[in-house]
Amino acid sequence: MIKRQSKNILIVAAMMGTMAASTAQAANWLMLQGTERDAAAPRAKVWGFIQPEYTSTSGTPLQAGPWKGQDAVFNQMRPNLKTNKGFNILRARLGVRGTGLPLDSNVNYFLLAELGNNGITGGDNGSTKLTDASITLNHIDGARFRVGQFKTPGSEEGLQAIHVFDYINFTGATNGLLLERFFDGDGSDLKDANRQNGSVGAFRDIGIQMFDTFKVSDWEHSYAVMVGNGNGINRTDNNDSMETYLYWSSEQVYAGAGPRREGWKLFAWNQDGKRTLTKNGAGEYDRTRSGLGTTFKKGKQRAAFEYITADGMIFNGTDGGAVPGSRNNPDSATASFNMETKGEADGYYVHYGYALTNELELDLRYDVYNRMTDVAAKERKFDTLTVGAQYFFNKKSRLIVNYEARNAEAPNLASTHPANQILDGMDDRLSAQLLIIF
Amino acid sequence: MRKFYQSLILLAAIAFIFPVHAANDFAEKKIVLQISDNNPFKQTLVLNVANNLIKHYGQNKVAVEIVAFGPGLRLLFEKNANSGRIDGLVANNVTFSACQNTIAGMTRVLGHPPVLHASATPVPAGVVRIIDLVEEGYIAIKP
Repeated sequence: MIKRQSKNILIVAAMMGTMAASTAQAANWLMLQGTERDAAAPRAKVWGFIQPEYTSTSGTPLQAGPWKGQDAVFNQMRPNLKTNKGFNILRARLGVRGTGLPLDSNVNYFLLAELGNNGITGGDNGSTKLTDASITLNHIDGARFRVGQFKTPGSEEGLQAIHVFDYINFTGATNGLLLERFFDGDGSDLKDANRQNGSVGAFRDIGIQMFDTFKVSDWEHSYAVMVGNGNGINRTDNNDSMETYLYWSSEQVYAGAGPRREGWKLFAWNQDGKRTLTKNGAGEYDRTRSGLGTTFKKGKQRAAFEYITADGMIFNGTDGGAVPGSRNNPDSATASFNMETKGEADGYYVHYGYALTNELELDLRYDVYNRMTDVAAKERKFDTLTVGAQYFFNKKSRLIVNYEARNAEAPNLASTHPANQILDGMDDRLSAQLLIIF
Repeated sequence: MRKFYQSLILLAAIAFIFPVHAANDFAEKKIVLQISDNNPFKQTLVLNVANNLIKHYGQNKVAVEIVAFGPGLRLLFEKNANSGRIDGLVANNVTFSACQNTIAGMTRVLGHPPVLHASATPVPAGVVRIIDLVEEGYIAIKP
């Protein structure tokens, strides 16, 4: 395992070196999301965005296993998993941010609610959930404090503002390892679908973060240290262990400001904590995530790379690739969501985008997700090549179209093994999304 | 020697009486810009307008003064996010006036005086400053 990780790190280092020599999106998310402009912020700025989308796969059913012939969960449309194509309001968010007393820039706030239909609202057709509610205190130079519920310092794909995300769907590693699902059990109960006990983590936690940014010449160095519940959003903790988060980034700023600032950024992060299951597999388990990467944006070009590792609490899909809650063909078990409490995984993504004109940008992304790398029989490898285009109607509204060529395999099992037959049925996915920010 | 000291005292007295701004006497246009509300976009706008005036007429041919009072005084707070732009405009002879009535009011709210940009010159009352400048031939504009 150590040998394999060393090899991975070397590959990452080589890729980062290559990208450093050439040239992605570089913005300071800690400051953009956590603070307001000194003496220039409104008392209350109302803002938000809407993302209606259309998604389609061929809807290929399961090719093997106890649920053969039934719907394959990976070809269904999230979050409801009831169809393979259709329209959805993926996100509809409304927020307000600013500085409560405009004469005092030292105290800022950020409030955001989700009204769309996604993992945050639990797939129950769009109930409203709070995603962010935080207060930032800027009284101490070099040590700002943000308290409440907000995005945790970590992966670029998770930390970045979703309304400037160049794609529609997250990469495999981010979706599988960082967009945390919370369960009460590990899924081993044959009668229970082991559904999530609430919202997905949405890259957020409730806690306190110390952070700041330091400018040295044309470089901007940022740090963040956070302690949180480690139990997602809109819940209290369910154990005595606190989640710790560490983050560092150094960015050479080229030009501009805000979420589409031009620059070259290097970053690394780590989060560590424990998770508690109370039903099947009850116990307290370690969960660690780490990553490093780089982003670049200059002129018409943008690129990004990130490598992510995970130890413990690996979301392991569903039984036989079936939709949770469905009974198998012999009617002896119910498909459930599964959690490998002690597994390992890793993954990476490479992104390159080119703005052909002010209105049209083309994007290409390749991502790999290696799940359960420590158990040969359970190891699954997912790789996706995403071809995308973005058409900007104006600065705040655009159309995004993505075609994802998706592949998956059980690399240590024979190609005729049911696991590989099931994974062979993974369809490519076509998605289109309109986005307006106001 | 005595005359020298008398001259120094006279110069000091002139500086004390007319401390506010060394207006550009050769300016062909004289503009006073008012910033008096809380809207951050107005802060950017008033600075943009000043910049555009300088670009259009040339810094030696236009006198531009920005008078901040009421909630608009936030523009002249030391840590204002636009302070770099203010520095740039000062370098182009744009002057900035801060209303002392507003400073006194904010002092009561904050419990201490607001720390202002080094280039901000206090004037007894922002609105009176604008009236005085108009009487001197300035055109008053509130972007």
